[in-house]
Amino acid sequence: MSENIRNFCIIAHIDHGKSTLADRLLEHTGTVARREMKEQLLDDLELERQRGITIKARAVAMDFKLGGKTYELNLIDTPGHVDFQYEVSRSLVCCEGVLLLVDAFQGVEAQTVANAYAAMEHELQIIPVINKIDLTHARPDEVAEEMMNSLGTDPDECVRVSAKTGEGIESLVEAIIAHIPAPTGDADAILQAMVFDSNYDDYRGAITYVRIMQGTVRTGQKIQFLRAGTQHEVVEIGRFVPHRESCAELKAGQVGYLICNIKSIGDVHIGDTISRAGSGAAEPLPGYARPKRMVYCGLFPSDGQDFSELRDALERLAVNDPSFEFEPETSDALGFGFRCGFLGLLHMEIIQQRLENESDIDLVQTAPNVTYEIVNKRGETISIHKPQDVPDPGDIEEFRQPIVRCSVIVPNDFIGAVMKLCQERRGIQQSQEYLGAQRAMITYHIPLAEVVYDLHDKIKSCTRGYGTLDYEMVGYEAADLCRLDIMVNGNRVDALSVVCNRADADRRGRAVAKKLKAEIERHMFEVAVQAAIGSRVIARETVPAMRKNVTAKCYGGDITRKRKLLQKQKEGKKRMKAIGNVEISQKAFMAVLSDNEQD
Amino acid sequence: MDSLVDVWPTPRAAYLHVPFCRHRCGYCNFSVVADRDDLIERYLKAIDKELRILGRPVVDTLFVGGGTPTHFDIKTLDRFLGMVGQRFQLADAGEWTMEANPEDITSEKITLLAEYGVNRISLGVQSFNPNKLALLERGHSAQVATAAVELAAEVIGNVSIDLIFAAPGETLADWLTDLELAIQLPLQHLSTYALTFEKGTRFWSRRERGDLQSPTESCEVDMYQRTRQVLAESLFKHYEISSFAKSDARCRHNLAYWQGCGWYAAGPGAARFVEGKREVNHRSTTTYLRRMESGQCPTAETEKITREQYARERAAFGVRMIDGIDLDVLTSETGISIAEICSDSIGLSISEGLVEVPSPHWIKLSERGILFADTVASRLLG
Repeated sequence: MSENIRNFCIIAHIDHGKSTLADRLLEHTGTVARREMKEQLLDDLELERQRGITIKARAVAMDFKLGGKTYELNLIDTPGHVDFQYEVSRSLVCCEGVLLLVDAFQGVEAQTVANAYAAMEHELQIIPVINKIDLTHARPDEVAEEMMNSLGTDPDECVRVSAKTGEGIESLVEAIIAHIPAPTGDADAILQAMVFDSNYDDYRGAITYVRIMQGTVRTGQKIQFLRAGTQHEVVEIGRFVPHRESCAELKAGQVGYLICNIKSIGDVHIGDTISRAGSGAAEPLPGYARPKRMVYCGLFPSDGQDFSELRDALERLAVNDPSFEFEPETSDALGFGFRCGFLGLLHMEIIQQRLENESDIDLVQTAPNVTYEIVNKRGETISIHKPQDVPDPGDIEEFRQPIVRCSVIVPNDFIGAVMKLCQERRGIQQSQEYLGAQRAMITYHIPLAEVVYDLHDKIKSCTRGYGTLDYEMVGYEAADLCRLDIMVNGNRVDALSVVCNRADADRRGRAVAKKLKAEIERHMFEVAVQAAIGSRVIARETVPAMRKNVTAKCYGGDITRKRKLLQKQKEGKKRMKAIGNVEISQKAFMAVLSDNEQD
Repeated sequence: MDSLVDVWPTPRAAYLHVPFCRHRCGYCNFSVVADRDDLIERYLKAIDKELRILGRPVVDTLFVGGGTPTHFDIKTLDRFLGMVGQRFQLADAGEWTMEANPEDITSEKITLLAEYGVNRISLGVQSFNPNKLALLERGHSAQVATAAVELAAEVIGNVSIDLIFAAPGETLADWLTDLELAIQLPLQHLSTYALTFEKGTRFWSRRERGDLQSPTESCEVDMYQRTRQVLAESLFKHYEISSFAKSDARCRHNLAYWQGCGWYAAGPGAARFVEGKREVNHRSTTTYLRRMESGQCPTAETEKITREQYARERAAFGVRMIDGIDLDVLTSETGISIAEICSDSIGLSISEGLVEVPSPHWIKLSERGILFADTVASRLLG
C-alpha cells in the first residue's frame, strides 16, 4: 500500500504561484471538480487566509490513477511565508519530496535559495518547477540556468508549467509519481506518528494533523502523546480531501487527522509524537528544533482596557505558532502589554497583522530589538531581550550582538547600491555570484540589528523593489554597543530605550529627541527631552512652558459649548501617559516608534 | 438642602439675537446672515411670536446682540424696539444694551434708541488702525468709530467698545496705539479679545492654508498684560478676563451669565438658561424662521443640567471674574459644596499658584492664574 503514496510539499518565494499550483493539482487529480473549485475551495482558502492559521500546513490527499495503479498524493502545504525555516521544516519532515517552484519571469529569489537548502538538508527529492510559462516575459531557459547556478538543479529536469492555464500539470503529476520516493515504514510496527499541526473546531475540539511514520492508527484506539504524556481515545480518523473525510484507519506513510475529544488546543503540541497507549510505545521522533527567537518587541494595546483581549489573541496565535512567544511586560509609558519574541522581522510583521486583523486591537509596537548577549564584570553571560535590561555601562565587560549571513539577490544594475548600503550597515562582504546574465547574489555578514532596523526597506527602495533579502544566523560577535535612553524631565521613558552602536548614538539620539519634542504638548513648565548613554546626555531638546491657557471671550451662549470643549480636552488628557509630571499622548509614542529617523 | 433640588433661578435677564449683517467678517462664527434683508419682515414676526409666550416678564437686563441690531433701517428699528418694549418689562434702573456697528450710528438712530430706553451701547469698533480694520473686514474707519462713540456717549451715556488684539501681523506697538486711542474716548466699558480662529470661518481656512499667521503666544501675552496695565492706569477696572469697566459700569447682563443666573433668549442661535435647562435655538436663520412659522419649537439643543453640574459651571465660569467667587454663596444657592467636591482640583490650582484664597470661602485667580483661566475652569468642571 505505502508504495503508492507520495508525500510532498511545494516551496516557493511569495507570489510565485504556490496556491494556484495547488489548485490545479487538486483539479487535475479530480479531487475537486473545476466547477466546485471556485465556489468551494477558493472560498474556503479565503477563509483560511483570513484566519491565517491552518493555511500554514494544510494537508490534502489526492487519489490519482496512473498506469492501472491508484496513487495517494499527499500535498502538505508549507506556510505562505516560506522564509520561516522552522515552519518549512515542519512540513519537510512529513515529506519525501518537494516541488521547488520558481516564477519564470522573476527567477530565483533569496527565499527560494534558503528553502531549497532546507529541503536538501532533509535529504528530500527536489523536483524543480518553473511556473508562469504563459507570461509574455517568461524566460524559462534563463531561469533554469539560474536554478542550476544557485541550487545545482539540472535544467533538463525542470518541469515547466503554467498553474494558471494548466499547461504542463499532467507531466508534473507524472514526475511526482516517478521521482518522489514512496514512504518507508512498516504498517504493522508500533504506531509512531508525527504531529505537524493542529487547529480548533468549535464542535469537535482540537484537530490534530499527523503523518504516520510507522504502524497504523484506528478509530477507538487508545493513544498517547509521548512528550505531553497524555492519553486519549481516537474518536475519528480521516484525511483532508480537502474537507475532512473520515476513514477507518491511517497507515504508515499516510497523512491525515485525528479527533480525540481534546478540549483545548493547548494540549496538542506540534512536533509531538503519537504512539499507542500504555507500555511498549514507540520511540519519540526527534520533533522540531525549538525555534530561536531573534527579534523582540513590546506590543501594547493602545487603549489599556484591551489588555486581556490582547492576551487572549496572543494565546490563540501562540497555540498554532509555537515559534512565537510572549510574556507580560509593564511599561511606565505604555502601561500593560507583552514582550514578544519572533523568528525574524517578517514573522513579527505577520503576527502583528494577524492580531490587528483577527482581534481588532489597536497596537502600539516598541522599536524591534534583537537578542543581545552581555558578559558582565562577574563573567556571567546574560541574554538581553529588551533594552531596559541592559545593565549600567560600568557593569559590562563585553556587549555582543547577533550576526547574520544576508543573501541579497539583485538585478546587476543595483549591485553597487546594495553593496554601499550593506557597507554602511557594517556589513562584511562574503561573496558575490552571478546567477545569470541579469542577476547576482551578494552575501554579507551584517549585524542582525541593522537588518531589523531598516535594511529590508532600504534594499527594496534602492533596488526599485527588485532586490530580495534573506538571512540566517551566524553567531554572536562583540561590538561597541550601548543603551541609548530617552529622558523626559530627567525620567527615563522605558519604551523608547534602544541598543545601538556607539557611533550611531549621537545621530539617533538627536533624531528621537527632536521627534519626541515635536509631539509633546506644552505644559505649565518647561519640559526637557534628552537622549543619554548612562548618565551622559548626548542630545537635548526643550519644550517651552505654556505661557497662557485662556480663551478670551465667554458670553452666555458659550457656556455649554465651552464646557464641552474643556471636558473634551480633559478626556484627551486622561488617556495620556504620565512620565514623571509630564503627560505624553500615545500618539506621541507611536510617532516616535513608528518611523525610525526618516528626517 | 433637599428643598433646593428643583429650584432654579428665575430669569431676570433676556438676550435677543438679531442675525442681520451687511457683511460677514472673516473671523466671525456667530449666527449671522449677510445681505438677506428680505428676511427681516419674517424675522420680526418670528421673534415676536417666540417672545409672546413669555408673558411680558420683568427683567433687570436686556441685551440685544447680533449680528448687527443697528443694521435695521430707522423704521424697522422703531418697530423692533417697540416690540421689545411690549414683550419685556424693564425693571427700574434696568440695563438695556444694544450692540451696534459704528457705521450704522446716526443721530437719528441713536436718539430713537434713547427714546425707547436703551441706556447702554456696545460698539463693535475692534480697532482704529486702517490696515487691521481692512484685514478684519470691518466697514468703518477710525474717524467713523470715534464719531460714533462720541455721539453715543452724548445721547446714551454708557458706551462700551469691543477691541480685538493679536490680529495677524499686529505688533505690540500697533495694539498700544489702539488702546491709547480708545482711552481718550468717553467710554465707560471696554472688552478686549484676542482674535480667536474658529472652525468654519474664512480666517480658519486661511490660517490652515498658511495665508494668515497669528502673532506668537508670548506677543499675545504681552499685549494682554499691557492692556491690563494701560487700562488700570486709566481707571478701568479689570473685572473679568476680557472685560474692563469704569467704577460702576460693569455689564450687569454679562455678570448674570457668569454668576449663574437664569436668562431668556430669542432669535436664531440664541442660548437661554431657564428652569435648569440650557437651550440653544437653531443657528440657521432660515431654519429658525421656518420652525417659528410652522409652529415648531426653535430649540436645536436642550440640556437639563444636574445640580452638581450647575455648581461646577458656576464655579468654572464665575472664577473668570477677577474678584473671584464666594464658595459659601455658591453652596447655599446650589446645594452643592464646590469646596468639597473640587477640593483636589482647587488644591492643585492653589499649589501651582493659579488660584488664591483672599478670604475664607473665597477663591480667585492669581496674577498668573488669569493667564490660565481655562486650566482652572477645566479642573472645576471635573
